[in-house]
Amino acid sequence: MDYKFVPSVCPYCGTGCGVLFEVIDGKLVGTLPNKTHPVNEGKLCIKGWNMHEFVNSFMRLKQPLVKTFGRFMKTEWDEAIKITADRFKEIIKKHGPDSIGVLVSAKITNEENYLAQKFARAVIGTNNVDHCARL
Amino acid sequence: MQAQVEQWLKEGNVDIFIGYKNVDGHVIPHFFTNENIDEVKDLVVGQAHYSLEKIATKVAADHPDMKIGILLARNCNQQALHVLYVWNQLNSNQIQTIEAYEASSDPAFDLGQSEDTAPYKQKMGLVKSMVPKDVEAFDQQQRFSRWMYEFSKCIKCYGCRNICPVCFCKECSLEHKDLVRAGNLPPEIPVFHLVRAVHMAGRCIDCGLCEEACPADIPLRLLYRKVDEIVVDVFDYETGTSPDQSPFSVLGEKVVLELTPIDE
Repeated sequence: MDYKFVPSVCPYCGTGCGVLFEVIDGKLVGTLPNKTHPVNEGKLCIKGWNMHEFVNSFMRLKQPLVKTFGRFMKTEWDEAIKITADRFKEIIKKHGPDSIGVLVSAKITNEENYLAQKFARAVIGTNNVDHCARL
Repeated sequence: MQAQVEQWLKEGNVDIFIGYKNVDGHVIPHFFTNENIDEVKDLVVGQAHYSLEKIATKVAADHPDMKIGILLARNCNQQALHVLYVWNQLNSNQIQTIEAYEASSDPAFDLGQSEDTAPYKQKMGLVKSMVPKDVEAFDQQQRFSRWMYEFSKCIKCYGCRNICPVCFCKECSLEHKDLVRAGNLPPEIPVFHLVRAVHMAGRCIDCGLCEEACPADIPLRLLYRKVDEIVVDVFDYETGTSPDQSPFSVLGEKVVLELTPIDE
């Protein structure tokens, strides 16, 4: 028997509401709004209230899929990253770095957004960086 | 308070104690057991209130024989427990409580938030501590349009139901596809809110958690206060303190109530 509440941040949109995850024996069973969080002050929308459902969903992707011959195949992270890097290199060599664009998101952290634009500018060599809110 | 809890856990009076702990500056619900007995010194009473009773019902559902200790930080915690006993959601033999009311809190009007009603709402004549009598000063048409306006703000988050310490039904009418059509926003008004209000009769203990959780700031507490008022007037039943079954758990031929109009 192990009951606990784990404070976290809702990943659904860019608002960043504070939530408490109700964890019983290592399994996420419920979500509560964090009453003292400065962003949402104890309120949540319907998506936030039901966050434990997507975490436990059987539809959830738990490992990367690589499309091979028109079908998605399960693979390991290292393998998927390697394939992506190779394809990026191929495309950059053939069409130049500006043939690639990086779209960042409100749903990830500031630091992750920073890393994404750094990746675009320093690694790929393009200024094609945009944000999901402008799509 | 901490010493008492520690003693209870050591002596086996309770297997688990539900209280609050400060985690990264947030006072959140925490479970204290014999395994983490060192943490009992971190047990605190915070400004923010969660429905520990509802958490206890979940624990009790998983472990029916477990002895549960609960921190009572507000008057309504005790009343919520009482309602859950009356509705057979918790067994009173299973529950031990410690009272640690905050000195500053006025249980009648405290919403667990330090802030007052926002200036705009005050200007519009809606104060958080409003009672049905204040509203009845307005004429019926004004009241109706105001309520319809308030209900129309609903984003159907189900927060009022989810946070409610005395909402325990396995199947909720608000999610019944024949009663509440899916995919519409706002939900069908005023029926959506009135269904919930009717179900709160004989259960609502006026804790104010629903209003606190409402992202659209609908004055739900006021609505349920009116419902409770009717329950007191018609059935002479004080929710949360009367020891007998709620008048709404009586079925069939036992009902001897005469029909009377609400507005006289």
